[in-house]
Amino acid sequence: MDNRRQARIHRFRPALITQIDDALPDYMNLMGMIFSMCSLMLKIKWCAWIAIFAALVGFANSRTTDDAKQVLSSFMLSISAVVVTYMQNPAPMTIPFMQ
Amino acid sequence: MRSSMTILFILFNLLSYFTWSVAKKIKDEDFSEFDDFDEDEFVVEPPYSPGANQLSSKTQSNKPEVAKVDDSFQSLSSKSADIKVNDEVTIDDEDDDLMFDEEEFETSDGYSSSSPATSTIPDLKITEIPANLTSNHWEAYHCEAIMLLLLLGYLINFLLGRSKNARLADIVYRSQRDLLERNFCLVGDNGQTRTTQSADDSTVNDSTTNKMQKESESLYILWCSGRTAIESMLMEVRLAKRQCLFNSLAAMIKSSNDMLIYTADYSKEDMETFVFCLAKKHCAAKLHRDMNDLSQFCSERKTSDKRGLNNGNYQILSEIGEVSSAIIDNRVVDFIEKYPDVLEYIHISDQYTGMKIQNDTQQSSPNTTPNAGSTAQQQDASNTSERSVRHVLIIAFNLVARNSRSLEITTETVGSDYLRFVLQLIDRVNSFRFTLKESKNKAIKNRQRIEEQFLKNVYQQRQEQAQQRREEKRRAEKEKIMQSDDPERQRKWEEKEHKREMKRRQPKMKQMKVKAM
Repeated sequence: MDNRRQARIHRFRPALITQIDDALPDYMNLMGMIFSMCSLMLKIKWCAWIAIFAALVGFANSRTTDDAKQVLSSFMLSISAVVVTYMQNPAPMTIPFMQ
Repeated sequence: MRSSMTILFILFNLLSYFTWSVAKKIKDEDFSEFDDFDEDEFVVEPPYSPGANQLSSKTQSNKPEVAKVDDSFQSLSSKSADIKVNDEVTIDDEDDDLMFDEEEFETSDGYSSSSPATSTIPDLKITEIPANLTSNHWEAYHCEAIMLLLLLGYLINFLLGRSKNARLADIVYRSQRDLLERNFCLVGDNGQTRTTQSADDSTVNDSTTNKMQKESESLYILWCSGRTAIESMLMEVRLAKRQCLFNSLAAMIKSSNDMLIYTADYSKEDMETFVFCLAKKHCAAKLHRDMNDLSQFCSERKTSDKRGLNNGNYQILSEIGEVSSAIIDNRVVDFIEKYPDVLEYIHISDQYTGMKIQNDTQQSSPNTTPNAGSTAQQQDASNTSERSVRHVLIIAFNLVARNSRSLEITTETVGSDYLRFVLQLIDRVNSFRFTLKESKNKAIKNRQRIEEQFLKNVYQQRQEQAQQRREEKRRAEKEKIMQSDDPERQRKWEEKEHKREMKRRQPKMKQMKVKAM
């Protein structure tokens, strides 16, 4: 028995996807921005590296519907933070509690 | 959500500690150049001052000796005496110098030779060369190397996890494609193209193309429509987040399964009015707490007595008693016995409105588009007096490896079995109707009760909003009057306000008076 009915076709609506509260990509974007600012203003190198990590984690967990520009801007900000921090002080990084 | 919150909390604490320690270090380092300056520049000085002191003490000690010598040689000619004294003095001086040279000063030569020189050549500062500019260039950057390795490791894990998830989703699709195309007119739609793929004759219906939509690296969906009994069916492949290294590490502590969730939407006439849920124990508790309809309509969780379910693994939440026995028929039990631990939950509801919203986020937003998620009630509360409910059948399966085979092989073999079970249950729910009249009455009564509660909430919220609007209007008026600087107008307005207040307080009393007469 053929159960197909042409007349009963309905188009897909994105709102019908089960909503699950996953705010990790947003938190990671925010963290990336905060750490980038910290590293630029306080000249802390490891902050810049953590900003790159946060941008990467945010990118890995992002949804396809999310704006790609935000992820890209987070990446660019963290990379510029690393570059600027090393240009200001080319000495190797030291981790505070491991001296 | 919780894990991300704890991670965020821990990282915030680490950040504040590090910032404090670095700030302290920067403060200490602010004056470090002066420390170095002191150490380097004045390293030669200590010999100066004690030497100078000793010299002065020696000369002082010489003076009494000279005096003694003078006294003893008073009889001799003054010159010879002087010469002798001088000789003695000079001898003494030389001795003293030798003593100084041998015992006290290693750098006495330097001192004596450089003392005239210090006036012309400036002090030499020995600066410390940073480690990265000495011969071992790159070895000093070991922290950076570790960071780069970690980044590379994360990237590699991302690519591997992403490809594994994509492969799994593809296997799920390929194992169910034929059965889906035999049952649905439309398989795969993103809602954005002008015509659906089935209506588009120009494109060749290529059976090898994967019509699943990728929502994220761990979520793939497939929309099916055009079948009897239901309006549409959404298949969601929710996989573990293999692409994120931190999620994979967290999964070692708290295991998360790959899931396959089917959500079938019925129209109002296709389904009887009841709310029912069969779920695993831990899942049942969570659903009962989080889902609006289950918490409103189902009062308690029961363990089933049926065969296959009597090991206590599954619990039932049911609004109407006869539904449990009608829905959980032999086919369901057979499936559970054949695939233990695979069925996560079955949720059937004609009053589905999604998950409960948090209390502090209950702000109405009139601009939100109507949807059947958790914001439905908020939007309805503010704008319409109708709850947007869906009639759904939701079935969730766990994708687990069986019989010591890999996950991919297991999924390939059982994919079509899961879909067949779903289609059978869809038809069963569609054909089920209450046999007992009291079941129908109970269902109607429950729905009326919930509807009344909802309307009351809507009315209350509308009152509050109207009150707020009135307050704001009054405040704006008051501001305008106060700013106008016209005492006459202000007085008039205050009188009007006073009269309004009196009127508001008194009407009930007046009404009662009229009735008594």
